[in-house]
Amino acid sequence: MDNSLKISGMEKSFWKSLLFSLPMILITFMFITGGRPNFSDPYEAIALLSVFLLVNILFFLMHFSGKTDRYRAVLFILFAFSLSYTLIRNMLEIRHSMSFSQADLLECKIPFCHLVIPMMILPAAFTKSIIFPGSIISGFANISSMVVLWITATIVLGRGFCSWGCFYGGWDDGFSRVRKKPVIKKINSLWKWMPFAVLLMVALSAALTMLPTYCDWLCPFKTVTEFEKVTSVESAAKAGVFLTLFGGLVVVLPVMTRKRTQCSFLCPLGAVNSLSNKITPFTVKIDKTACTQCFKCVEACPLYALTKEDVNAGKVSVFCSKCGKCVDACSKKAIHYGIKGIPAGTMKSFSRNLFLFVSFLFMAIFSSGAIISTLQNLLKLIF
Amino acid sequence: MTDSLILGLSSGSACLATCGMVMFPYLMAGSAGVKRIAVDLSLFLATRFIIYFILATLAWYFGQAIFTNSLVRNIVPGILYIVFAVMLVWYSIGSGKKPGCPARIVTTVNNRRFVPVLLGLVNSLGFCPALFIILTKGATQGTLSQSYLAFLTFFIGSSVWFLPLPLAGKIHKREVIKNIGILATGLAGIIFMIKGLTNLIGGIVNG
Repeated sequence: MDNSLKISGMEKSFWKSLLFSLPMILITFMFITGGRPNFSDPYEAIALLSVFLLVNILFFLMHFSGKTDRYRAVLFILFAFSLSYTLIRNMLEIRHSMSFSQADLLECKIPFCHLVIPMMILPAAFTKSIIFPGSIISGFANISSMVVLWITATIVLGRGFCSWGCFYGGWDDGFSRVRKKPVIKKINSLWKWMPFAVLLMVALSAALTMLPTYCDWLCPFKTVTEFEKVTSVESAAKAGVFLTLFGGLVVVLPVMTRKRTQCSFLCPLGAVNSLSNKITPFTVKIDKTACTQCFKCVEACPLYALTKEDVNAGKVSVFCSKCGKCVDACSKKAIHYGIKGIPAGTMKSFSRNLFLFVSFLFMAIFSSGAIISTLQNLLKLIF
Repeated sequence: MTDSLILGLSSGSACLATCGMVMFPYLMAGSAGVKRIAVDLSLFLATRFIIYFILATLAWYFGQAIFTNSLVRNIVPGILYIVFAVMLVWYSIGSGKKPGCPARIVTTVNNRRFVPVLLGLVNSLGFCPALFIILTKGATQGTLSQSYLAFLTFFIGSSVWFLPLPLAGKIHKREVIKNIGILATGLAGIIFMIKGLTNLIGGIVNG
């Protein structure tokens, strides 16, 4: 009797999840295939179909299992690795090198990346100039499309952009999952203000020099995208900084701490996105009446966004990226996705479903191109 | 001059974090409104400006006397940058006991008229690693006017933080500003460490 009830409950849940996934299936089909699927190239067809299935199975499982982070992370990490793979492959094909030359800079051939945005604001406001050597409206990763995408995503998701849209975040997210238990458990909470210090420095220095100083000197992801050709002691020092930051903050520390240390301690865009958490309608709420203060959520948070004091006060900090790890860790469902204005502990399902639909759809559309291209290329290489 | 401004901006924020709360009551206590506050603050900043002007001149003349050839001009400042940058990082985020605000001495002075001037004097001569770095920079500039420019940008960068002093009482997130200031100083230290290394290696490689 119990078993049959359980099976019928699961069946009901299955159909409910499938129904919930239908709009996602239709929209992602339109975006991934462009509305007119072309199966003339078998590799492309396999890649398209695989990504379409992957995206929708992940979304279905999120609803069916009630867990968020593990399924989000699959697509998020794949996105990061695929984008770097695609970029590097393109550069090797076109330039035969991962480094860019002065000519590439002068011809504005550098693909735009959202990390430049905090440095663009002051120079754009005062001089009406864009300080990045990329194309404004044409070509791959042009400035206007990336800025519009970022603004839209940030207004809607707040710092959720860092866990649902950033094509670099998957790197340290991936490495933070390598070990089951952290080697380094405690880090001084002072460090979580570092992205604001970096933001202050790079925004002002960019305004003064009219150069994207973060990209020039600090971006660890230059290691897995493109960098200035090493022709002098200065460019060698820059390459050294990129490699050190990538090795330290994207690989070693995430493995040792099980936290996303690059996102927590360096990224200036993360600081801007943290501020945007104040305006987004979506948030993570703590139902103090249901909370048993086990603090598993604090331990789970990959961005040092949640402290015991926050839990006791019943609210998460502005650093929250809405990845869902804390929500999954709470057995009492005391911490949950919420909408501002709706009290904690109420409309949990509705809030989660609405947030997941918006955030996952954004990630699915944004990431699918890079993943399809990577898969297609890998299939060609293998067969 | 960007690095001088960055150094000023970052060390200014940390300076305000450590000294602001000591200086604020003495600059503002008993003041009769905005005019008095503006006069006190102007005296304080003017004193700092004069001291930096003198330091820029002295640093450049000493630099001319000491750094006589191009090899020394690259290698010695490179080493100095690294040493002072390490000190700056340690000073800002080191676990050791942090030095107190040098302006605390002024709190013993009774004559209130001289307090802003004395505060400016003590604040600008409070030998911290950031000042050592800017002294090194001033000493290695090609011309005296370049040395002045380095100190001027350092002065502007560090002074920006003192301008909101009259509003200090209304700032709620003082702890957050202090934390960001401390980290920005550490970051400036790292920037100068890299600059020092680049100078040093460049000096050795290029002879």
